[in-house]
Amino acid sequence: MKRKTLITRSMVALILISVAMVVSPAVNSLPTGVGGTGIQTSGCNCHAAAPTATIDVTLDGLPDQYNSSETYTITVSFEGGPIESGVNSGGFNLWASGGEFTVIDATVQSRATAEVTHTEVGNDYRTWTMEWIAPSHGRNVDFILHVNSVNGDGSNSGDSWNRLDLSVVGSLGVGLDPADPFTVLATLIIISSVLLLITILYGFYRTNPEAFDWEHLAPWITEWLTSTDHKKIGTLYFIQGLFFLGIGGILAMMIRLQLAGPEMGFISQDQYNQFFTLHGTTMIFLAAMPLINGFANWIVPLQIGAPDLALPRINALSFWLQPFAALLIFTGVFSGQGADTGWTGYAPYVVSAGAHSGVTMWVAGQIMLVASSTLTGINFLTTMAVMRAEGMGWMQMPLFTWSILVANLMLFLSIPAFGIGLLQVYLDRTISTAFYDIAAGGDPLLWSHLFWYFGHPEVYVVIVPAFGVISEVLATSARRSIFGYRSMVYAMAGIGIVAFIVYGHHMFTSGMSPSLRFVTMLTTMLVAVPTGIKIFNWLKTMHGGSLVYRTHTLWALGFLVTFTLGGISGMFFPSIAMDTHLHETYFVVAHFHYVLVGGTVFGFFAAIYYWYPKMTGRMLDERLGTLHFLTAFVTYNGIFWPMHRLGVVGMPRRTHTYFITTDDFTNLPEWAADWNLFISVCAFLFFFSNFIMVFNMLISLARGQKAPADPWGGWSFEWMTSSPPPTPSFDWNNLPVLKDANEHIAHEPSVMGIWFNKLMVPEDNEEVNN
Amino acid sequence: MGLITPLFDDLWNEYVVWSALVGIFTFGWLYHHSYWYRSEEGESPNIDNLQVGVFPKEYDNLKLEITWIVAPFILIVYLTFISWAPLDNIWSAANAESGYFGDECADGETSNLIFNEDSGMYEADCYNVIEITGYQWYWEFDCLNLEEDICAVSTTQIEGSDRPLLSLKDDTAYFATMTSNDVTHAPWFVSFGIKEDVQPGMITSQWILADDVENFLLLCTEYCGDDHAYMIAGVSVHA
Amino acid sequence: MSGYDDDHAPQPWGPHDWHHGAPHNSFSPLFLSMGVAIFLFSLAQAWSYGTYTPGHIPTILLGLAVVGFSMIIWWRQDISFDGHYEPISTGVPFRGIQVRKVAVWVFLMSEMMVFTSLFSTYMRYRLGIENCGTVFERGLFDPVTNPTGWQEGVAVTCFEPASHLIASSWWHLAPGAINTFALILSSFTIVQALRYAKMPDLDDEVRRKKVYRYLGSTWILAILFLTLKMVEWFIGFYVPEISAIGLHEHDIVSLVSEGYTINADHYQHHSYVDEATGAHMVANIQVSASLFYVTTGTHGAHVAGGIIGLSYMTLKAWKGLYTPANAVSIEYFGLYWHFVDLVWVLVFPFFYLY
Repeated sequence: MKRKTLITRSMVALILISVAMVVSPAVNSLPTGVGGTGIQTSGCNCHAAAPTATIDVTLDGLPDQYNSSETYTITVSFEGGPIESGVNSGGFNLWASGGEFTVIDATVQSRATAEVTHTEVGNDYRTWTMEWIAPSHGRNVDFILHVNSVNGDGSNSGDSWNRLDLSVVGSLGVGLDPADPFTVLATLIIISSVLLLITILYGFYRTNPEAFDWEHLAPWITEWLTSTDHKKIGTLYFIQGLFFLGIGGILAMMIRLQLAGPEMGFISQDQYNQFFTLHGTTMIFLAAMPLINGFANWIVPLQIGAPDLALPRINALSFWLQPFAALLIFTGVFSGQGADTGWTGYAPYVVSAGAHSGVTMWVAGQIMLVASSTLTGINFLTTMAVMRAEGMGWMQMPLFTWSILVANLMLFLSIPAFGIGLLQVYLDRTISTAFYDIAAGGDPLLWSHLFWYFGHPEVYVVIVPAFGVISEVLATSARRSIFGYRSMVYAMAGIGIVAFIVYGHHMFTSGMSPSLRFVTMLTTMLVAVPTGIKIFNWLKTMHGGSLVYRTHTLWALGFLVTFTLGGISGMFFPSIAMDTHLHETYFVVAHFHYVLVGGTVFGFFAAIYYWYPKMTGRMLDERLGTLHFLTAFVTYNGIFWPMHRLGVVGMPRRTHTYFITTDDFTNLPEWAADWNLFISVCAFLFFFSNFIMVFNMLISLARGQKAPADPWGGWSFEWMTSSPPPTPSFDWNNLPVLKDANEHIAHEPSVMGIWFNKLMVPEDNEEVNN
Repeated sequence: MGLITPLFDDLWNEYVVWSALVGIFTFGWLYHHSYWYRSEEGESPNIDNLQVGVFPKEYDNLKLEITWIVAPFILIVYLTFISWAPLDNIWSAANAESGYFGDECADGETSNLIFNEDSGMYEADCYNVIEITGYQWYWEFDCLNLEEDICAVSTTQIEGSDRPLLSLKDDTAYFATMTSNDVTHAPWFVSFGIKEDVQPGMITSQWILADDVENFLLLCTEYCGDDHAYMIAGVSVHA
Repeated sequence: MSGYDDDHAPQPWGPHDWHHGAPHNSFSPLFLSMGVAIFLFSLAQAWSYGTYTPGHIPTILLGLAVVGFSMIIWWRQDISFDGHYEPISTGVPFRGIQVRKVAVWVFLMSEMMVFTSLFSTYMRYRLGIENCGTVFERGLFDPVTNPTGWQEGVAVTCFEPASHLIASSWWHLAPGAINTFALILSSFTIVQALRYAKMPDLDDEVRRKKVYRYLGSTWILAILFLTLKMVEWFIGFYVPEISAIGLHEHDIVSLVSEGYTINADHYQHHSYVDEATGAHMVANIQVSASLFYVTTGTHGAHVAGGIIGLSYMTLKAWKGLYTPANAVSIEYFGLYWHFVDLVWVLVFPFFYLY
């Protein structure tokens, strides 16, 4: 059978569902006509298990290529079978993927707009005539004709049936099927990449129109490909992060299109599974983390007064591993063999042959990302430990730097566990080791443990830097010191440590022992305490302040709203009697999108508007920024707020469709379909609203107001440098010194510090002992 | 008609009330300060004398900070405390001494599942054991030796295809021992608010507490491959 | 020391003048990433569920070649490092310690997590799956008297530790034992190399000879380690009869030849034969074999990485480029090497002896 036209099928499917719900989902028995969605897949299996080839089925009157909206008179007939003619000797069901049937006599009845069958009268006939009106869309139409040749004795024995498939070419021409979603995805990615390339080249042109030739371009490109400067690498991370934010968004659009109505046929299940897998992996690893790294690379050395990171070449390596890893991760998608395991890749499905071949590449790409993150962690921890400016003790670091410290500490200690799990899966799938081979004694829960031991700290890795950004933005916007600096630091450190012991809350329903489950419940609940401290500290910071409303301020306040909501919804899960209901439903999707998008992404939108002038030397347009905030914030809540309720009433996640309550069985209420459509519409609006920011960034680069060194009145070292800062960011011989508005006792190293130093530095080290 | 089950609803309502209170408090505070402490046009007073290259003056208040460590902590301990009993209930031990549902029902014994309003827990005199196996991509129920009235497996039409139908009796407690034939799945008894993974090579179990006459869908809630979305079954609880 | 001079052209292919600070351009990261991607991609193309598809070896080698090429660029930039630019920490409690030394320690923390995860997997399976010896001792299956016994021809899933084969005789243990001593000795030689590189008041030629000989010895010991590992895994060895010293003939078969492979679902061992009936117990030992090869293999990969680093360092030493000013670079490697040694000291008893 030719492949169905997907979009037409979805329209027909919707019509069919409505009719089918009225009529009956079951296959009706003859002689009053046959129908039901089952018949197209199972055939007339009430009569006999398999079709009989000797039944000669004919469908006359259809053209090879139809003209739009033209009417054709068609005849269904057959020969062969147990008897030649007589009472109850024949029946048929004719279904079309497009167009409309018109009944012209009493032997035929209409089951749906594009489905006809015989009537009780027509049951005595072996040939039937009706009209078909071709659709106006001009695309190919498929017909499925089932014909019963029965011996009329009222029982199913001795009967036979056969099926005929026919395709009529549409008026638009041969071979014009709607685009396969993979083709759409590939095209969108290629178009985005080309646009990116053109933008970069145009940017290069604008820097010096006279020198737009290869001689100047080659060193410029080489500079970008080989630079180890933290600012350039930060910019590269940004470009990658924003690019993949867009790709992840496109994947989300595909998902939401499919879920806009129940039982849509926009994309097949297989394609849907691959899209939600890639959406998760892309957003977390290729969008969120690079965006965070982009800011970390740019801002941390500036804030601590260091000319660059501790290991510049390794920093470059950390970045370059990412685009190549992305290539591996996306391998297979365009051939329909992309990873379809969900971003969590649970065993044993992830090692089964049923999961596509692209899974191996997806795993390999993630192994590279593990290496990249580990190296990043090492680099940042070392830098912050050893290259702080004079006068900057641990408790004088800006809060953004602290947040990057805590995040990287969590990241590089947890990600090797994930790396080992990935290695095990990679080897299982290639050389056939047996880590997750159930028959050989492999344990699927081992993967869960290794993954979530990383997975939970990972989500804190992406939110804690956002905390740091908000601390900076709110304090500066309110023109105040941050309230409770010390408790902010301890709260972040507390979150960083507790993160490692609560991962069990992802596995409450996996068959864990009850005592472990209780401990995890308690510790997970307790994470709310440090988080709450931070939220209250932010609010208190504004007290007595003078809040200057800029776009970054708006995003910071928006963050406070959405992250608080996300945190509150998160509190429902540790209560296990509720988790057994809410786990793997849209309630979870709502929660994590509130904290990931409403938390991390909004935090980084604030960071973009806050630090863009420093990084580029241009101010962003405030009106466009406000417009971006209003449209994005409202549509974002329109997407994710209704999902809470949908999850509670019974909508599971990672499903290609959802089921509305029927007369026979309860599931989702009627309004679930409406709200899903509403969510999908908001999703599109949210997606497009973010282009306002991209547009703003691009035109400001060209025409924005020149930015001073300190446009917002911040205190940390980055505001000391020019906008943009020079390279190296600080002169080695003239590093800044941090003064302190508080009176402190002169810093003497503690006993621990002295002992530690003695341990690490050999006595004969002249350089040190001077 | 509550949301899910009385056990769930009690917890849910309590949590929603506390969430609303915390939300009102936090958002009230946020909106108040966002409005009250906004700067006047053109003004941008440097209240704490922030200067570039100078670590700002400390701004803290020990009493306040202790308050908002202790208060949330107390709330959280309370919420954990009220969650403890329901947890104990749904993961009850399968025996009379330490569980809520007695021992396995003998022949002819009725389960008499009730929701005890005072303690907020389900209780039963005894329970019936059934087996559930997950396959890619369908469910298989096994009523073992239970009577037709207590447990029955048949087929029914849902969403245009034949699906397994599990018929249970109202006011009866069931203990499902489950496994998977291939990959992880999870049967979600939506109206009972309970799910548990089925793992290959392992036996997991869950309590199925049929406390209402209804027909609802059983959905798969652990991603298991191509037809995960369509791995549904019917559950029919009759009087 | 100044930052970037105006007249200083970036040398992304190397060599690099360290008087200007760390390299601010390098092609090495780009090519290293490319090489790793090609390597992992080709490896996945070549093997799928144990089925080998020929024709992908050239691309695997291409990936490795690109990685090698990137290392050459890296080393080209490093070889001129003479200690002139070695940033020292300013932050407490690391004040006075070289930045790169702190970085190596932080790196080792993450490496610890790698081996911890592997050991976790080992613990889970070792304790969770029944030992094959225990299963064997339950005796032959009998429906009445011994329902939990094993049946001939029916593969039983159990955990067969490699020690059952390796610790069965001194000769079997020899490669592993020699390896242990080789690594410990190599930790000593690397420290000696550092000592002589740092030693003040030493003649240049003497220093050069001492340093490159000690580094070279470390390199040889590391190669010996990997060679003996291959002998143990794949090749096996033969000991001839020398009655003069009372040496008996031994034919030590490799692990793979004994059937201890990751695909072994019908594994047999001479000790799992029922005395009375002569029935063989057949076992599915894929999990234990996978654990053994992957854990010791990961450690071996770290040794191989060390060999690559040592190759560069020995060459640099042979050119006489290590002086007290830059001797600390040897220490960075030494720290990593001690860590590799320490991991082996843990891996050896758990995987070879127990």
